[in-house]
Amino acid sequence: MSPTSQLAASDPIGIDIGGMTIALRTQDPAFRQMLEDRYAGFVKISPNPQFEFDISLFEPEDSPDPSEARHADDGVQVRLQGGEWLLQRGDFSARWDSVAGRGHIRQSRNPYAIDSALRIVHTLILARQGGFLVHAASAIRGGRAFLFAGVSGAGKTTISRLAPSDATLLTDEISYVRRAGNSYEAWGTPFAGELARVGENRAAPLSALFLLEKGPENRIEPVGESEAIRLLLRNILFFAEDPELVNLVFRSACEFVERVPVRRLIFVPDERVWEMIR
Amino acid sequence: MMIMSAVDSTFFTLNEVATLIWQAADGHTPLSEIVARRICPEFEVDPVEAGHDAEQFVNDLSQHGILLVSEQPIASSPPPEAR
Repeated sequence: MSPTSQLAASDPIGIDIGGMTIALRTQDPAFRQMLEDRYAGFVKISPNPQFEFDISLFEPEDSPDPSEARHADDGVQVRLQGGEWLLQRGDFSARWDSVAGRGHIRQSRNPYAIDSALRIVHTLILARQGGFLVHAASAIRGGRAFLFAGVSGAGKTTISRLAPSDATLLTDEISYVRRAGNSYEAWGTPFAGELARVGENRAAPLSALFLLEKGPENRIEPVGESEAIRLLLRNILFFAEDPELVNLVFRSACEFVERVPVRRLIFVPDERVWEMIR
Repeated sequence: MMIMSAVDSTFFTLNEVATLIWQAADGHTPLSEIVARRICPEFEVDPVEAGHDAEQFVNDLSQHGILLVSEQPIASSPPPEAR
């Protein structure tokens, strides 16, 4: 029996990402169904979710709130105000009391809006735990996880597509990194990129971060610590205009590079590249 | 720099050259001028090769709906949000 088949229509839907459950409550059956479909594999029945959001929907053309009339291209704004986090983009606005664990999201029906809201909330949670979301593919092989980051076009989608059958793809777009004592874990996410394939909801100890670069041959090169930090920071997702949390994320990146090998992976885009990833 | 598409929330991580193009894309300055006056002097690259790479980059972003390519200056707003 799937988790969703055990849910009553009035139950919130728990979205379990990175081992943290965020319950989403909506009164709209179609939107609810979209959530169940979009996050299949990450839906969890959790009587005591760590965080809970009520969702209300608006149609852009009849929005009574001028703040919702922002242009769809308007950028993300995340700031702390009066003890609550305010999250805003063209297609959604949200309030979140991180201490109480409760919030409210007002959004269009655009499924990417809830994707973005969830990502932002997770970046805020992770910032205080020494983890982060990073624009990288990731996979588990041999019980260990590997991250693959790089500028757009470097090969995140390619290496994900080439993954052998004994590798478990965690994501081809947004990787979830959590601190686990003195080491790190990578968790699967439902945030898909060009591959349009949701990752597996699994986790494994993180073995290495590879910085991708397509080239004439397959080889792995060392990366200096300062360059590794700089390139990692380039790929970390963080949206809040908050000096304290920005500082924490910076420290997290430094500590990550101290503990996880960072290598440059130059590769020919065919399946042989995975012979080096074990 | 990382930018996010407002259409589908896709992220793009840009290298230094792509970042410069993105920041210089003001709707008025021709791409050829960005390449000639900004990229070539700063990165000491071949103008023809840089021009081809720049065109490919803006076409990629255009296909994802986050950059508008036009033969004429665009008399409107500043570039979309960058992050």
